[in-house]
Amino acid sequence: MGNKQTIFTDEQLDAYQDCTFFTRKEILRLHSRYHELAPHLVPMDYTNDPECKLPLALIVNMPELKENPFRNRIIESFSEDGQGNLSFNEFVDMFSVLSEMAPRELKAIYAFKIYDFNVDNYLCKEDLEKTLNKLTKEELTPEEVELVCEKAIEEADLDGDNKLSFADFENMISRAPDFLSTFHIRI
Amino acid sequence: MSTVSEPLVSSSRSLTAARRHKSIRKNSRRIYSAYQDHHSSDDEDKEDERVDSNDPEEMFQNIQYQKEIIANIRTRPWPMRRKLKVLKQAREIVLKYEGRLTRTRGYQTAGADLLKKLSRLLYNIVVIFVPWEMRIKKIESHFGSGVASYFIFLRWLFGINIVLTIMTGAFIVLPELLAGAPFGTTRTQDLDTIWSLGGYLQYSVLFYGYYGSVRKIGSAGYRLPLAYFLVGMAVFAYSFIILLRKMAKNSRLSLASASDENFTFCWRVFCAWDYLIGNPEAAESKGAAIVNNIREAIVEEQEKKKDTSLAVLISLRILANILVLLSLAGSIYIIYFVVDRSQKLEQEKPELTLWEKNEVVSVVVSLITMIAPSAFELVAQLEMYHPRTSLRFQLARVLVLYLGNLYSLIIALLDKVNSMSSAVPLSSGNWSDTSSFLATISQPEVDSLSTLVSEISVSEHHNSTIAPIAAVLDISNSSRSSSSFVSNQTALFEKNTRSQQDQCWETYVGQEMLKLSIIDMIFTVASILLIDFIRGLVVRYLSDCCCWDLESKFPEYGEFKIAENVLHLIYNQGMIWMGAFFSPCLPAFNVLKLIGLMYLRSWAVLTCNVPHQQVFRASRSNNFYLAMLLFMLFLCMLPTIFAIVRYRPSQHCGPFSGQEKIYDIISETVASDFPLWFSKVMSYVTSPVVVLPALLLLFMLIYYLQAIARSLKFTNTQLRMQLQTERTEDKKKVFQMAAARLQAPEAVAEKTTDQQESDITSQEASIHTPSPRRNGSITNFQSPVRRGNSIRTIAQSASRADLNRSVTGSVRSPTVTILPKHRLEHIPNRPAPFLGGTSGTCRSKSYHHIVYNPPGRSPDNIHSDPLYRKTVCSVHPVEAAGIIAAQSYAGRRGHTTRYVIVNEHEPRKKLLRSATRIPRHYLMEEPTEVLELYPRNIKRYTARTNEEEEEQGKGRERVSLGKAHRTRHMESYVKPKTRQKLEKPLTESDSASLASSSDQQNSSTDQYIQVIHNKERYFKSDARQGKVAKRKFKTNLDLNLSESNDLLCSNV
Repeated sequence: MGNKQTIFTDEQLDAYQDCTFFTRKEILRLHSRYHELAPHLVPMDYTNDPECKLPLALIVNMPELKENPFRNRIIESFSEDGQGNLSFNEFVDMFSVLSEMAPRELKAIYAFKIYDFNVDNYLCKEDLEKTLNKLTKEELTPEEVELVCEKAIEEADLDGDNKLSFADFENMISRAPDFLSTFHIRI
Repeated sequence: MSTVSEPLVSSSRSLTAARRHKSIRKNSRRIYSAYQDHHSSDDEDKEDERVDSNDPEEMFQNIQYQKEIIANIRTRPWPMRRKLKVLKQAREIVLKYEGRLTRTRGYQTAGADLLKKLSRLLYNIVVIFVPWEMRIKKIESHFGSGVASYFIFLRWLFGINIVLTIMTGAFIVLPELLAGAPFGTTRTQDLDTIWSLGGYLQYSVLFYGYYGSVRKIGSAGYRLPLAYFLVGMAVFAYSFIILLRKMAKNSRLSLASASDENFTFCWRVFCAWDYLIGNPEAAESKGAAIVNNIREAIVEEQEKKKDTSLAVLISLRILANILVLLSLAGSIYIIYFVVDRSQKLEQEKPELTLWEKNEVVSVVVSLITMIAPSAFELVAQLEMYHPRTSLRFQLARVLVLYLGNLYSLIIALLDKVNSMSSAVPLSSGNWSDTSSFLATISQPEVDSLSTLVSEISVSEHHNSTIAPIAAVLDISNSSRSSSSFVSNQTALFEKNTRSQQDQCWETYVGQEMLKLSIIDMIFTVASILLIDFIRGLVVRYLSDCCCWDLESKFPEYGEFKIAENVLHLIYNQGMIWMGAFFSPCLPAFNVLKLIGLMYLRSWAVLTCNVPHQQVFRASRSNNFYLAMLLFMLFLCMLPTIFAIVRYRPSQHCGPFSGQEKIYDIISETVASDFPLWFSKVMSYVTSPVVVLPALLLLFMLIYYLQAIARSLKFTNTQLRMQLQTERTEDKKKVFQMAAARLQAPEAVAEKTTDQQESDITSQEASIHTPSPRRNGSITNFQSPVRRGNSIRTIAQSASRADLNRSVTGSVRSPTVTILPKHRLEHIPNRPAPFLGGTSGTCRSKSYHHIVYNPPGRSPDNIHSDPLYRKTVCSVHPVEAAGIIAAQSYAGRRGHTTRYVIVNEHEPRKKLLRSATRIPRHYLMEEPTEVLELYPRNIKRYTARTNEEEEEQGKGRERVSLGKAHRTRHMESYVKPKTRQKLEKPLTESDSASLASSSDQQNSSTDQYIQVIHNKERYFKSDARQGKVAKRKFKTNLDLNLSESNDLLCSNV
């Protein structure tokens, strides 16, 4: 790809490699994926940092995200405007955090953001209910949802304010045996 | 300001301080950067650049630091754009300065990168070759992790068996096939012999008896018997090592989760979704699995609330246990009886039916292993335990059953072997005597003899064999009784050769094990087909024409019982271990069996099983299974070892024929093939004199390690408790902050004025504090920008510190008590520090500094010099801390710096809490932040211009004049008169308040305390005084603060 047409300069590629967990090839592939999403919008030449953002609706249709119940939240929490419009930078960032190389702490921060539906820096009951309903496709009865939410908050809430702060969340997630292996998208 | 070289900095002390500082800075980075935004990082970077440019030590640190940024930037939770920006700056700095230091690091990093890429590539390749990954994933997505754990376990066992197969294949079977002289020839190939593993199979590579006892085979001189023995032992050793390693790894992985399982719901909600899932069907089944999982948790939760009457329960449980014990004893008796019976039958009737001859034992054993677990399960229903407990009980019982079966079998077999070897000498004592006699007499002839004997044994029907035997006997010159014996009693001879053939008890044991394994496989297949598949078909297709619902009532679909199936695998592996020594191809057979089992089971699970209604994980990691496997391995190794040690190897077959004991091969090899000294050394090493102390040493080691483990555990729990308490304390502080925020929403609106006021306040405070160590601060002013000066200052003031120490000691307690009061009073004025305006936070900050200083100072008193130098040596701390503080203070450098310092030193206290990210407002409130006075000064100097310093100087001058403390350093100041005038009134009013407050204080001599006490007063009077001085003190804020710092220093 690189010899046909320069998408990035070498410095850009280096910088991306330093800022993400990707290799040069992967970054180029990410770009081609990004380009495929909207060929008429995304330029092939990124050497001068063009301003270009793709809306959430386009990105959600990627096969990697399509089946994910939290796809909208993932994209929203990685977009700087919070509306789900992703520039290429944010796009790369998203997959970098979700790559298998990313450390647990980093993943936990973004997982918290993803599950924090109302963006109030706390996971409250409402967030948990939404999470559960997305997860189970509303198969659980309301009583079950209620019970599970209560229990979950009871387990992880250390200060008794009936919602989970990031500290609570991280404490909980750092002990989860399979968080690292499941919070992970291979692209 | 002039650049001053620092003679003091170069002292070793400053170096260590710098190093320590560096580490602190690093940690602070790591801890605080992750969850904090950092808008002003570029600012800081530039400052660094400017500040550090002339000191090589600092420059080096700076570069290290920037490189650290570059290396870790990918783990920062910042938006990409900022990461790129910061990265660019860091790169520039590194590029600019690195040339002056070293280039080797560049090569190092390049090498590390290459290595990383290679390892990753390798990893990717390895992953491709993991078998059945997709199959297991599919099962996992349908049935959840529990069922998948069975298959993962199976795959792992498969891997072990592959290694075992390779070991035996490469070192025993292949050499024998290629170069060895085979013992047996094909006699018959009818179904009978294949089925009973007799005939050709009996004399094939499958069994011990096939292998020749020639010491060296082939042109290369491969020592087969030695290899046989070593590989037999290596099989056990390898299994042990791999098992223990796996267990250690598992326990390391589950260390965090092993402590408490109180996050079941959270994990099921937050970690349930597998983000990898990209195909709709998998997503569907994953969703179903999650629902399943959560329901299971709910059931478990409800299970806790159940209770029944105790007496009934206990009696039921006792009954159940009695039943289980009875069935265990029964199964053991049956097996023993069957083995005994088969032995008797064999003795009575030479011609046995196929059934009677071989299969009774293994069929009975397999039947018992199939039926008994179900019986146990029925019994377990009586007990009404919690499902998980009942699962454990079930597992334990089944394990005992399997072990009992294997053991009774092996004991019966060994019994048989025993009677066999004792019966043979009785009936043909002469015969065996002669053969052993021959073996001993003529060593070179042994080979030919043994082959002859084997021929005889094989061709027992031909009478002509008498002739070669007679010849042999002639050669050996021992024909006196045996020749007559042979010629006289042909019938007896037939019997003798027969028993001689059977005498190869190793082959016999191997045969039994292989038979057992085969029959077990047949039964497994049959049970899968019958119990699961046919049942599934019946339930599926006959449910329409039946009066009750087959799917939900009686037969239902078969459930996949993880625990029983895992145990079955363990049992199976136990058989392999037990028989591997006597039948080298057993692992290879097991590999085939496991492959078949994998496909059959996975097919059965996906087609005709339903997930267990209450799927409980036997254990979070598979360590439970592994522990059982280890137990099994140990117990299966025992009979083999026992047989090796206890029994004499068969005389006429196998690699060890003619030896007294199997392990003699080692001593023999050592004696004959190694140099003399080696055997000498060996004899010393194996003597009790060495072995006993070695054993003792081992015991001591074990004890010691265990003690260490215990103490570590203790520390672990303590640390956890500490973490817990600290966290709760932090939470309390958050609440206080939140309350304050609610009370003072209006403060945000007034933030600009507030700020001014606070500036004044702080200034006032500092002005009025008497500073005993005036000289120190004054020196600072002479050349405030340069660190060298400040160091000199400290050096001067060091002596003062001693004087004041007693003062501070007394000061501390009163201030501490008063602190909360201060804070509370001030809360209404203070805007929310976290969300609120920038200035508000600043103000509260400065306030806190002053208030908190005394309590926190005490540690600093002692360390004042090193601390000072430390900060002097590098200005990075500022930047490090800046990350945290910067968010709301971008653009206000003076304030930022202040914060920075506070935060920077936080890590010292907070290092332990590395995991918890403390919100910024905590940091501000920490009493420890007080430690940070020195760096602040420096920072300010570097950032500020001359003018400010002059102002500072003036303020100080004023104070010192008022107090008449130390005037001798004053002359160094440049004094523009204009500003001083404006400040005067303030000073006066403050001093007035000071005086009034000092009345209240008992220790009027300690002016420092008074200052602190009067704090509130100053703040109250902010309003009026602030207006007067507002304009003037905009820039003075930092100066004032620094003065307060100086005050603190002086108290030290």
